[in-house]
Amino acid sequence: MTTKGRRVSRREQHRIGGTGASVTVRNTLIAYAFMLPFLILLVVYHTWPVIFGSYLAFTKYNIISPPQWVGLDNFRELFADEQFWSGLRNSLKYVLVVPVIQVISILVALLVNRPLRGIGFFRTAYYVPVVTSFAVVGLIWSWLYKQGGAVNSVLMGLGLMRGDHSLLDNPATALFAVMFVTLWKGIGYYMVLYLAGLQGISRELEEAATIDGATRSQVFWNITLPGLRPTILVCSLLSTISAIKVFEELYVMTPNGYPAGSTYSALMYSFSKAFGGDFNFGLAAAASMVVAVVSILFGLINFRLTKGGRSDA
Amino acid sequence: MPDTTLPQTALVSDPHAQLAAQLKVQRQRRERLRNAAAYAVLILIALIMLYPFYWTLVTSLEPTGNIYEAKILPTALSLRNYLEVFSGTTVPFWRLILNSVIICVLGVTFTTTLATLAAYPLARMRFPGRDLIFYSILILMVLPNEAGLIVNYITTIKLGLLAQTSPLADAARQYLAVVLPGAASIVGLFLLRQAYLGIPQELIEAARIDGARELTIWRRIMLPLATPTIAAFAILEFVAYWNSFLWARVMLPDKNMLPLSAGLLELSGTFSTNSRAVMAGAVITIIPILIVFLMGQKYFMKGLEGAVKG
Repeated sequence: MTTKGRRVSRREQHRIGGTGASVTVRNTLIAYAFMLPFLILLVVYHTWPVIFGSYLAFTKYNIISPPQWVGLDNFRELFADEQFWSGLRNSLKYVLVVPVIQVISILVALLVNRPLRGIGFFRTAYYVPVVTSFAVVGLIWSWLYKQGGAVNSVLMGLGLMRGDHSLLDNPATALFAVMFVTLWKGIGYYMVLYLAGLQGISRELEEAATIDGATRSQVFWNITLPGLRPTILVCSLLSTISAIKVFEELYVMTPNGYPAGSTYSALMYSFSKAFGGDFNFGLAAAASMVVAVVSILFGLINFRLTKGGRSDA
Repeated sequence: MPDTTLPQTALVSDPHAQLAAQLKVQRQRRERLRNAAAYAVLILIALIMLYPFYWTLVTSLEPTGNIYEAKILPTALSLRNYLEVFSGTTVPFWRLILNSVIICVLGVTFTTTLATLAAYPLARMRFPGRDLIFYSILILMVLPNEAGLIVNYITTIKLGLLAQTSPLADAARQYLAVVLPGAASIVGLFLLRQAYLGIPQELIEAARIDGARELTIWRRIMLPLATPTIAAFAILEFVAYWNSFLWARVMLPDKNMLPLSAGLLELSGTFSTNSRAVMAGAVITIIPILIVFLMGQKYFMKGLEGAVKG
């Protein structure tokens, strides 16, 4: 339809005057004029960081003097730094959030997909954490995690915790405490995506299976879940990449790797090298590059695991 | 479901009807039980999702007491913490609100204007290089941009956006420095392109025959018909700009220029501040977002789904 439309419109352009060539040149100029402001900012703030960032990883640079090529020195320094390894390990640990958040989000989506009275309220309520800033929810949760705070009361009430110590003050639990906040904030987001996925699955198919005597769990495993596969691919990809790039929640809740440097992530390491006082932009860029490579690898693994999101698999 | 209207006599005399009625009652009971269980889980999750906000509100309204303990109702009510945060000497709260408003207005204006303009030729015009540009942008979206914060900081300095001349010019430049890195939104471009593709070709053709220029077509046909998408995108961007704190906090040399969410972190970092005042600040930071979200909820979910599909 579009192709046909275009052909007609070109004929019309001939009719209103102008030769074919001049119309095309003029059209091209107009088209680029429309896109120019967008493209300039895109190149400056999106393309340039990818190019210049990759270059910086092989230089010594502190903004004041021009970058100096140092080859692989930054990477050598990086891999010799225990702090970086600990950050990278934490970023990989953070990927544990992915399966948990996806399973819970699918279950929640199934729950709020039921035609119950007042279900709109629950959908809205679950989405509220998504629209609030990590600056705010990070602060709120660090209050809730305080000694004698709400989280500890609940955990001790359930008998899951002895001794009233803040989870954020303990190097063994701090990272997991922040992970829980990531989970809490992300469920609503993925729930909405899974809801959209569920709405794309044919009702008739599920009903037909039920009439033919399939049980609820059979319908779920054989129709609903395969139908959700494309959504699962997209969601787990998004959530894996953001897990490896985890930064904001740690920045707010456990600044500077608190406690005892136990909560550095790979990206936070990069951040601290650039903005932590020594302006080592080369090393920071090298660390960012490692994070980028790791997130691409994990993206590919993810793609394989979900069989490319094909719903017929 | 209407009740069975079988006459009593039939029920008594016909064993099949009796069995059917029994089964139906059973099924209804099971369904009711299942719904009750569903509601229990729904309410539990809602509590987990909303209680942190409720707790913050309650604690911010209390003048004294055990600050961090779990609570359901405030022990006493007072607006003292709110007065304290507004009269803040360390962080100028009114100024932070003003900053956030300016940043959001600029941000939403830039992102929507740039995306609505750039999407038009990509969707409805024919020119050399169109596919190349479209696919380059697509690739850019999946390319990892981990060094973005670092390089954009360098770019911002090199562009002279943090230069200091006169107070007013400094402020204008620093607002721009906060807004510009996010101004070209790829997601917005795709959303708008999708919306433009759905507009009937006849309308555009008719306008072109009448000699309308492309800018007129864009303004008189594209924009009005894409309004729902533009609204959805504007809301998404408002929330994004209101919530973003890291970039501003890293880059801005002047604390008086920070947006609200970043200023809140600054406030909580100063030891002299009363935590309840920070909580009051947190409540104030959340309220506009909640209002926008509740009003534009329909658009919101639509934009989000489109953003992922696009």
